[in-house]
Amino acid sequence: MNSPAQFRQLILDRIRGATAVRTAESNQRVQHTYIRHGSLEPKQRIDLMIERLREYDAEVVECAPEDLSSCIAHCLQSSGRHIFAAPSALPPGWLAPGVTWRIDTGLSYGEIEACDGVVTASFCGIADSGTIVLHHSAAEGRRVLTLLPDWHLCILRTSQVVQTLPEYFDRCAQPPSLATYISGPSATADIEMTRIKGVHGPRFLNVILVHDQPAPHSTTAANLNGALA
Amino acid sequence: MSSEAAHRIDLDPRTAPPFPEAAFPILRNTQLRSNVAHATDVIQAKRARLVAEKSDWQDLRRAAAAIKDDVLANLGRYLVEFESRCTAAGGHVHWATDGAEAQRIILDILRQENAAEVIKIKTMTSAEIHLNPALEAAGIHAVETDLAELILQLGDDEPSHIVAPALHVNRGQVREIFARRMSLADLSDDPQALTAAARTYLRRKFLSVDAAISGVNFMVAETGAVTIVESEGNGRMCLTLPRTLITLAGIEKIVPRFQDLEVMLQVLARSATGERMNPYSSLWTGVTPGDGPQNFHVVLLDNRRSSILARPVERQTLRCIRCGACQNTCPVYRQTGGHAYGSVYGGPIGAILTPQLMKMEHAQSLPYASSLCAACYEVCPVKINIPEVLIELRAQVVDQEREQTARAFDPMYSGMRIANSIFASAARFRWAQRTARLALRPFTHKDGWIHKLPGLGARWTMSRDLRGLPSQTFREWWASRPQEKP
Repeated sequence: MNSPAQFRQLILDRIRGATAVRTAESNQRVQHTYIRHGSLEPKQRIDLMIERLREYDAEVVECAPEDLSSCIAHCLQSSGRHIFAAPSALPPGWLAPGVTWRIDTGLSYGEIEACDGVVTASFCGIADSGTIVLHHSAAEGRRVLTLLPDWHLCILRTSQVVQTLPEYFDRCAQPPSLATYISGPSATADIEMTRIKGVHGPRFLNVILVHDQPAPHSTTAANLNGALA
Repeated sequence: MSSEAAHRIDLDPRTAPPFPEAAFPILRNTQLRSNVAHATDVIQAKRARLVAEKSDWQDLRRAAAAIKDDVLANLGRYLVEFESRCTAAGGHVHWATDGAEAQRIILDILRQENAAEVIKIKTMTSAEIHLNPALEAAGIHAVETDLAELILQLGDDEPSHIVAPALHVNRGQVREIFARRMSLADLSDDPQALTAAARTYLRRKFLSVDAAISGVNFMVAETGAVTIVESEGNGRMCLTLPRTLITLAGIEKIVPRFQDLEVMLQVLARSATGERMNPYSSLWTGVTPGDGPQNFHVVLLDNRRSSILARPVERQTLRCIRCGACQNTCPVYRQTGGHAYGSVYGGPIGAILTPQLMKMEHAQSLPYASSLCAACYEVCPVKINIPEVLIELRAQVVDQEREQTARAFDPMYSGMRIANSIFASAARFRWAQRTARLALRPFTHKDGWIHKLPGLGARWTMSRDLRGLPSQTFREWWASRPQEKP
C-alpha cells in the first residue's frame, strides 16, 4: 500500500514529466488589454450601480451620511419585520430603536435563523454587475449571518462603488481570506430556465446607498472651464 | 420503477453504448428534445446579449486562455504553492491519483467524523469518479442540494448538462418526481411552488448535517483560497454551516494569482448562464476561526489529467472552466442532449475530455459525435480549439483500429481501401463514375434526389437525401462541347 506522500510524489512526478517540454511561452503571457478601468463619471457610475441592483429586484434607497440612522430605521419599519441580526461591530448609530436586535457575539444557527432580517456594512460595490462584495469584517459579519435570515439590508457608501470588476481587485490591498460576492438575491433557473427568486439564500436584498462623496464637477465642465481660463 | 430501470441512463464510459447507438432512441424522444432545445435556446440568447455588450470580450478570452496556459505549463509549482498556503491557513490537502483513491480519502474523512449523511454542492468531478454510489455503499447518504441535482437524485436520473444538469426535465416531470418523493400530492407544476418545496425539503438538512462535499471553480495558488460560483445559495449553505467541508478538485482547476479572478469570473458567468455575475460567489481560505467549517479538506484529483497534460495538442482540454457554452451551441448536443455521450461530460467538451480521461480505451465514438462546425470553439471563453482536438483524437482512434484485424472486413474500411484504389487511377475513376451513374439511376427520383437506398446505403439516406449523379461528368461535357473556331 502506498502512503499519501508517495501518491503526492507520483502525481507531481507525472506533472513534471508532462510539462518538461516547454511550449511557446508567448501563449502564457497574460495581456491585460481588457478593460480594467471604467470610463463613467461618478454620477453615472452610481446610477449604473442602482440600475443593476434594481434589475436583480434589489430595493435601493439613497441617503446623505447624516440621514443614515433615520434611513435605516425607516427601512426596518417599512419591512414589517421585527427581529434583526447585527454583526458585532455594526456602528451603534445603525441600531435603530423600535425593533429587537440580536448582536452576533456568538449567536447559534438557530438564533440567527430565527431573525427576520440582518443589517450589515459592505466592502465594495461593483456597478457593472450590480455586485455587493463582503469581506466579512466585524461590521460585515461572519458568513452565516447574511445567509440564514430571509431579508438583508446592506449599507454601501458611494466611495466604495467601483465601475468594473478589475477596479475591485485594485482596491484589495491584500487578497481577502474570506469573500462573498452577491449579485442579486438567491435565484435558480433550473426548471425550464424560468428564473425563480429565493431558493436558499435571503430572498430580499435591500441596499442603502450613502452619498459620502460630494458629487464632483463633471470632467467636461472642468475641461470647459480650463479652456475658458 | 421497473420501466425506469430498463431505460436507466449509463454515464459510465466504460460500459455505455457507442454514441450513435445511445443517440438513436433519444432522437425519437420528442419531449426530451423539446426540453433541451428550449433550455439551450434561452441560455444562448442570454449569453449572446451579454457578450455583445462587452467590447473587450475577445481580450478577456485571450487573457483567460493565457492564464490557464500558464497554469498548465507550471502546474506542479502552482499546486505545491496552493498546498502550502492552504495548509498554513489550517486546511488539509490530499492527493488522489485516480477516482478510487479520491473515494477512499473522502470516505476515511467522513468515517472519522462519524457522518451518516453528507450534503453536496453540484460537482461534476464527483460524478466523474462515481462518488455517490461509493458513499451509499459505505452507508453514507449523500444529499444533493443544487435544485437540478436534487431533481435528478430524487428522479433516479443522471445529469445531462455541465451547468444545468436537469435541463432535459420539464416542470410536469419535476412535479411528478417531487410529489412522489416528498409526499406532496397537491403540489402544482408552477416553478415557484416546486422551488419552494425544494427549499423546505433541504432547509433542515442544511441545519442538521455536519459534513459537506463541494467541487471547485478556482483554487488560488498565491493565497490558498478556493472559489465557488453558484446561483441558489445552496453552495453558501454547504460552505458555511457544516463542521466539516471536503472539496474535490481536478488538479487543473487552479489560477496563479487572486487577481486572475478578475478575468475568470467575468468570462465564466457570461458564458455559463448569461449573467454579468452569478448571484453568489464564495471565496474562503483554509479555516477561519468562528466562521464556517473548522475541518477543511481539499482532495486534488489527477485521474489521468496529467497524461492529457503531456500531449501538446490535447493539453488545451485542461483549460476548461466547465461553463457549458459549447454544449448550448453544439448542433449535435442540441439534438441529443447529454445522456447520449455516456459520460457526465457531454457535448463538445465531453467529446474530447471523456475519451482522454479513459486513456482512449473507451468512448472512442465520441470524437466522431461532431460536425466539426467549430461553433464550440467560437464560444469557448478559454479558446479551446475543440475541432482541432477532435481531429487529433479521431486520428488516434483510426490508429487503434488499424491494428485490429477484424477491421479488414469492416465495410467502412473496405470502402476506404476501394476509394483509395479508385482515386489513384484516372481510368478506374472514369469507370467508377459510369458504373455509379448506372447503378444509382433506378434509385434516383424525378426531382434529381435519391431519397432511399438499400443495404449499407440506407445508413446515409435514413437521415438525409443524396443528390443523384448528373447524366454527364464535367470531363464528358468538356470533350463533347462544340469547338469554337479560332
